[in-house]
Amino acid sequence: MASPLRSRPELTSVPTSDVTGPAYESHNLSVDLDSSEGARRILTGVDLEVAQGEFVSVLGRSGTGKTTLLRVLGGLLDPTADSTVSFRGEPVEGPPEGAVFVFQNYAASLLPWRTIERNVDLGLEGKVSKPEMRQRTAEALALVGLADRAKDYPWRLSGGMQQRVQLARALAVRPSALLMDEPFGALDAMTKSSLQDELQRVQERTGATIVFVTHDIDEAVYLSDRIVVLEGSPATIGHRIDVDLPRPRHQLATKELPAFLKLRRAVYDTIVDVHGQAGDVA
Amino acid sequence: MLRNRVNYLGLATMLAVVGLWEALVRSGVVEFQFLPAPSAFGPRIGSLVSSGDLVPAFLHTLQVTLLGWVLASTIGIVLGLLLGLSETAWRYSMASIEVMRAIPPVSLVPVALLVFGFSIRMELTIIIFVSAWPVLVNTIDGVRGVRAELVDVARMLRLSGLTRIRKIVLPAAAPAIVVGLRLALSLSLVLAVVGEMIGNPSGLGDALVKAQQALQPEEMFAYVFVIGLLGVGLNAALRYASARLLPSLAAGGGGVTSP
Ligand SMILES: Nc1ncnc2c1ncn2[C@@H]1O[C@H](COP(=O)(O)OP(=O)(O)OP(=O)(O)O)[C@@H](O)[C@H]1O
Ligand SMILES: [Mg+2]
Repeated sequence: MASPLRSRPELTSVPTSDVTGPAYESHNLSVDLDSSEGARRILTGVDLEVAQGEFVSVLGRSGTGKTTLLRVLGGLLDPTADSTVSFRGEPVEGPPEGAVFVFQNYAASLLPWRTIERNVDLGLEGKVSKPEMRQRTAEALALVGLADRAKDYPWRLSGGMQQRVQLARALAVRPSALLMDEPFGALDAMTKSSLQDELQRVQERTGATIVFVTHDIDEAVYLSDRIVVLEGSPATIGHRIDVDLPRPRHQLATKELPAFLKLRRAVYDTIVDVHGQAGDVA
Repeated sequence: MLRNRVNYLGLATMLAVVGLWEALVRSGVVEFQFLPAPSAFGPRIGSLVSSGDLVPAFLHTLQVTLLGWVLASTIGIVLGLLLGLSETAWRYSMASIEVMRAIPPVSLVPVALLVFGFSIRMELTIIIFVSAWPVLVNTIDGVRGVRAELVDVARMLRLSGLTRIRKIVLPAAAPAIVVGLRLALSLSLVLAVVGEMIGNPSGLGDALVKAQQALQPEEMFAYVFVIGLLGVGLNAALRYASARLLPSLAAGGGGVTSP
């Protein structure tokens, strides 16, 4: 199959906010979750600021609490009472307008009784006119290379395709912030790099803020303005790495820059270091 | 896509059983005073139709069954949604539901008879009381079983309460609800016939009892056969309707591939 990303219709930009402060801001964010031995602290004292239009990646080993952090930012999970979390200056109490998720478990996040197209419609129904909905859904599906599968059901699609439907559903809403939980984990290298570049272009065009969870160090360095590493148990942000690579970035050129290689090495060392420490503690 | 395949093996088995019955009765191996061979009561159906006895009875039973089923289903779905969605309502009512469910339905027939007399209301009451349970219980299960991920999707897209029920909860619970509806439909027919046999003197149940009392085994078996046909027909109709309405059910239970 040809690259799924041939056509690239313009998504018009999101309504730009008049808030100039950070998109996300958390202070002393802690989270307790139920476990077999009662409440267990998962995250502790997370201070994070994400500027509007910034691309921040969250790295950390499996089970540290990356998904948990994303859920708190998105208003799907309440932190402890002494935590503060705000989105565009407003305290987060439930999912705020303008922020959408791309969930880690894509198969369970699509409605199996709706076609691909109608899954993408879900975030638009009742919010925009019918013709506009049709147009936005078609655009979003074209963007992720699934225009020809619009009438199919999600369970007839491969895992990577299902994940792209989720991405289309998120983009169709024209969000001002995207919370993405390992969105490209299930994709082959080709589709993955196409979608990485597509995501960068969307961000360029719309100025959307993106918080991006990934296990892939290359991906994090390639896409991000900043990388934060969750570590410890309970976890907190142990390292923050600024990625000051020039934009626009290119899959080959950027990845050959000495600065890229250096950053990649630095992040790698951090993660390995973290793993070593965690091993010692255990 | 609908599976309209005819189950030839099943059909063959059925024919074989009827044939065996015919053979056993004719050959005299099995001999009861009031056990006719299929060939003896089969034609009676035709004569009951032409005499005008069968059709009104059939329509009465059909009507009561459907009406009772629709009412039972409505009650079951609405209450089930309420109890499935509200943790509080569920905690308060769970015990009562368990107790009420344990009452053998037939024991309510005399009660309903006393309250409503020999009437269609009595028939409907026992149908509803019995048939609402499977719908209620399955709706609660279906609603409580909606995957947390779908609830998250609804929340992050900021769907309002009613929209969430309509677009996420009901469709997600639909497979479970349909199971309840099918159980309820079979029960509704059973209860309609029972109600007619001992309560409301009309319909197929009543005709069946009268045939028995008149020592008319051919006629009695003809009614039994028609009641059976009605059951099969109703079940097939509901199967067809739910397959049409729920494409993801028809195509393999909405088999979502796991990550
Ligand atoms: N619903 C939940 N209830 C209780 N504990 C949970 C729940 N979800 C996650 N946890 C716990 O919280 C911790 C962090 O989980 P989380 O899903 O945030 O990890 P993660 O960093 O996203 O891992 P992965 O990279 O494997 O996705 C884990 O120890 C997990 O057991
Ligand atoms: Mg995770």
